Amino acid sequence: MIDYYKKPFTAEESLSALNPVLRAWFEKKYKGLTPPQRYSFRLIKEEKNLLITAPTGSGKTFSAFMSILSSLFGMAQDGTLEDKIYCIYISPLKALNNDIYKNLNVPLDDVYSTPKAEGLKRISVGVRTGDTPQSERQKQLRTPPNILVTTPETLAIILNSPRFIENLKDIKYVVIDELHELANNKRGVHLSLSLERLTEYLERDFVRIGLGATLYPLEEAAKFLVGYKNEKEERDCYIVDATWDKKMDYQVMCPVKDIINASNDQIDKEIYKTLNSVIKKNETTLIFTNTRSGTERTVFNLTRRFRYGEESVAAHHGSLSRESRLEVEELLKKGKLKCVVSSTSLELGIDIGTIDDVVQLGSPKSMTRAIQRIGRSGHSFNDVARGQIIVINRDDLVECSVMLYEAKRRHLDSFTTPMNALDVLSQHIVGMSLNKKWKIDHAYETVRKAYPYHGLDRKDFDRTINYLAGAYVGLESRRVYGKIWAEEGEFGRRGRFTKLIYYLNLGTIPDTVSVQVYEKSRWIGGIQEEFLARLKPGDIFVLGGRLYRFDYSKGMNCYVSRADARMPTIPPWFSEQLPLTYELAIDIGNFRERFGEAVRRSVKNSKSVFSMLKKNRLEPNEDAKRILDEMPIDANAKHSIFQYFAEQLLFAGIIPNDRLILIEKTADKEKKRNMIIFHTLYGRRVNDALSRVLAVLLGDIHETDIGVAINDNGFMLVTESDVKIKKDEINELVQELVSADIAAMLRDNVRRTEMLKRRFRQCAARAFMILRNYKGRQISVNRQQVNSGMLLGSVEEIGRDFPVLKETYREVLEDVMDLKRTKEIIARIKKGEIDYRVIETSAPSPFSHVLITFGEADVVMMKDRRKRLRELHKQVLDQIKRYSR
Amino acid sequence: MRLDKDLEIVDGLPFLYVKSLDALVCSDVHLGYEGVMAGKGVFVPKVNLKRIKEMTKKAVLLTGAKTMIVDGDIKNEFSEVHIEEFNEFREFMRYLAEDLHVTRAVLVKGNHDNFIERLKPGVKFESFSEEALLGRYLFFHGDELPASKKGSVLIMGHLHPSIAIYDKLGVKEKLRCFLYGKLPKGRELIVLPAANYFAEGVDTLREDCGEIAPIFKDFADVGDMRALCIGEGETLDFGTIRELRSI
Repeated sequence: MIDYYKKPFTAEESLSALNPVLRAWFEKKYKGLTPPQRYSFRLIKEEKNLLITAPTGSGKTFSAFMSILSSLFGMAQDGTLEDKIYCIYISPLKALNNDIYKNLNVPLDDVYSTPKAEGLKRISVGVRTGDTPQSERQKQLRTPPNILVTTPETLAIILNSPRFIENLKDIKYVVIDELHELANNKRGVHLSLSLERLTEYLERDFVRIGLGATLYPLEEAAKFLVGYKNEKEERDCYIVDATWDKKMDYQVMCPVKDIINASNDQIDKEIYKTLNSVIKKNETTLIFTNTRSGTERTVFNLTRRFRYGEESVAAHHGSLSRESRLEVEELLKKGKLKCVVSSTSLELGIDIGTIDDVVQLGSPKSMTRAIQRIGRSGHSFNDVARGQIIVINRDDLVECSVMLYEAKRRHLDSFTTPMNALDVLSQHIVGMSLNKKWKIDHAYETVRKAYPYHGLDRKDFDRTINYLAGAYVGLESRRVYGKIWAEEGEFGRRGRFTKLIYYLNLGTIPDTVSVQVYEKSRWIGGIQEEFLARLKPGDIFVLGGRLYRFDYSKGMNCYVSRADARMPTIPPWFSEQLPLTYELAIDIGNFRERFGEAVRRSVKNSKSVFSMLKKNRLEPNEDAKRILDEMPIDANAKHSIFQYFAEQLLFAGIIPNDRLILIEKTADKEKKRNMIIFHTLYGRRVNDALSRVLAVLLGDIHETDIGVAINDNGFMLVTESDVKIKKDEINELVQELVSADIAAMLRDNVRRTEMLKRRFRQCAARAFMILRNYKGRQISVNRQQVNSGMLLGSVEEIGRDFPVLKETYREVLEDVMDLKRTKEIIARIKKGEIDYRVIETSAPSPFSHVLITFGEADVVMMKDRRKRLRELHKQVLDQIKRYSR
Repeated sequence: MRLDKDLEIVDGLPFLYVKSLDALVCSDVHLGYEGVMAGKGVFVPKVNLKRIKEMTKKAVLLTGAKTMIVDGDIKNEFSEVHIEEFNEFREFMRYLAEDLHVTRAVLVKGNHDNFIERLKPGVKFESFSEEALLGRYLFFHGDELPASKKGSVLIMGHLHPSIAIYDKLGVKEKLRCFLYGKLPKGRELIVLPAANYFAEGVDTLREDCGEIAPIFKDFADVGDMRALCIGEGETLDFGTIRELRSI
């Protein structure tokens, strides 16, 4: 049973759960208990499974460890503490593990220096990750630490280490930190199977403690943590929600009064000026930028515009070397940096000392992430966390305003776990076969106890076994292909090298393929392989802030020459940006409806209104004002949002929302193309699916290629201007959409994309179909990807249910896109719950401008993208002018 | 597609038919590819032999050829004879003789065909270690220049020629092709595409063909060659490489 624990224990109830010596230490050291501690001391003492969510800095990790240390210390007093592992602590970050090691040894040093602990066996802590030297590993094997600090991957290796696994026999607690970073991806799925394998090995349960920052829905997170005890029931788990116990103060800042009409340079200048004003008033400021390139650009601009030196402003992101990241972290802890700029890497609980203020540049795309990031500031848990989002364009403005408004109302977005991933399953089946001979029925039961596999189809399980046993190749070749044997309801290990293959290829994080770019013989940088796949000779693209013309590629090298053009001809096809969450998208839709109605009352499509709008003198009515005043946004933001909505209403007469889709048939005269713009504010994962299906339908009618551009707010279909599309046709198109078998259409459409090939290769690597490392030899990604398209073709011969293929499509349709919600939306259109309106415009309406420029939306090219926005905007204003005449 | 009175590309297939020899010609079959890949840690479902058999069957039915010439690289591994190669080679030869009633099999050795003699026991085929002059045709693999000055039509493989073209929206399409053109002194050259299922091919529009096939280094200009591409059930003339490169 999953249950909330809502009433905290009293201080005395909590403290009395601790061993007296540790209690004395705790009371001497701390003034009081933090909210999570008021639950955890007691509940962990009672050996309950427990999920604690609380903001970073709330001492939640320590709230779990205090009870564990207390219990182990009691064993030391009784003389029953042996050289055995009693607790495993797992976090997704190696860096975090080193912090934990230090943070556990501080109290231990204190406690063991008191007279009461004299002569007692010391509780030992050991770190074991991929970076742990061999000598340390050997030492741990001989004398295991009482608390083992590790990563999900290393845990999986330990499970297959015949000698080390012996040390796990007395495990009592498993602590999983940063659960929110695991529950939504394949790394977490991988870990969930490891935990079930551990339970199966021990033939008993252990106490599972999950720690996470904001995570919703909590019931699902708890199920993910504890799994199932049998066919029907989850294991018991208590949920402690201390998410909102930290006080926060945040707001949206719009850099200029009128973000729609301000010039590029003005906005740029004001963004950095605003940023600098925040930096100046603080000791240390943390800036988040969403992308790595954005991080680099911000650091560059801050140092150039305000003459900050390298010693006061630094970047921290995943592409930097481990050493330079550690250096930045150290400087932060010492309070020596004025400002640090990060993409996502400082989101997690690494100790970075005190941050006064968090600034988010551009939308973080989810309420949960916004809260998580802002929560990084504040001296202590009792301090107010301060944060602001500086917005960069009009859609960003509306998005962030709704985001913080909803966060204030304690509305969070949900996570989803990849379900029934057959590639991760393959890895574990190989791992399981290395442990012992299994009955297939029993293995299936074991796997289904893990939350992400509870609904696993037996047929898929058997197919995965068959694939690994080499059943898909002729009998004579099975010796070469099979990694396990399977017969008469049992399976086990096969082949001398299987163990080595398992060790060297385990894990779920895909290799990223970087293509090296050269100008003549000079190396310039790297681009993603999928980006290369889209380049044709003559295309101009951006690298390291410069423009280059693509000449040719050879293997994994790409040759370019310098280009003098003003704009790249090829947009970045694969966005670094995270998709907008569905919940937030719907919230924005609601806001559009509510606010749109209010604005409608203050705007009449008349000449005077238009001229006032143009002069920036149109004021919102009381209703509109009230709505804006409820939001945590500054005066510029209020003005710009109103301006934006008013323009859309004047131009198109319609503000689209989540229950009213606006379809706009228009043209881009400059580029000589027709555009059908769909204002479907459901997030990119839904729009990706919707746009492909509609493009297929439209393409079939006109027998032509259809260009597609998507973003979180909608999508557009583009045709050459000689393809004539009638307005009625769009109605027919929607009718076709609601009766289409979209899953089948998507599968067929996706089949021809580079994305599928890339995802297939990653799934194949996870499923050990392609090995990254074979017999100790690193196989370059180059080698791995020999004809991944051909490989895909050959696998298709086997059939759609072949596990690696099935998983690839599942990943694309369910993880990259959101097939489930797309279907829901289509069903609602069919039922009339979602209405749509088709209009014809001579130029794209204001709400579509960000979408149209999305194609040019490389973050590095922000300038030119704005320029384009401005041009479009001008077209529209001219249009409005003509109407109002 | 008919090239002249005696020569014809079997439509939509990587096979050439020589009427005077009553022979089908193909190249770069790379049997045993999947087995060799398995040895390198890549599970590749076995497709190649199946596809080769299907294509050969179709070509034999269309032409009634009694001779099969493989212009090099019938097998995949350089340094040894892999067990899978051995099995697939025998299976292919058996299929040719028994199911398709091809009475003569000729192998011109390619750079991957070392130790091919070891495949001989129990299988009937003729092998040429460098090149074979049959009628007016000089067959050689193409990894080296032909030694013989004889033959008015040179036929080679090795290059795995293809062309990469882009559609209006920038999507790349790679097509395998025959290269067909004149050499200096009036001789003709035909480069066969790879018959292997997995060999997507070398983009002759962008890569340095001379580096792979020495004939295009000093003797011939690849720009003069016509790209005759394998489409779906048909062969399409895309014009010369030079024209294609100038787009």
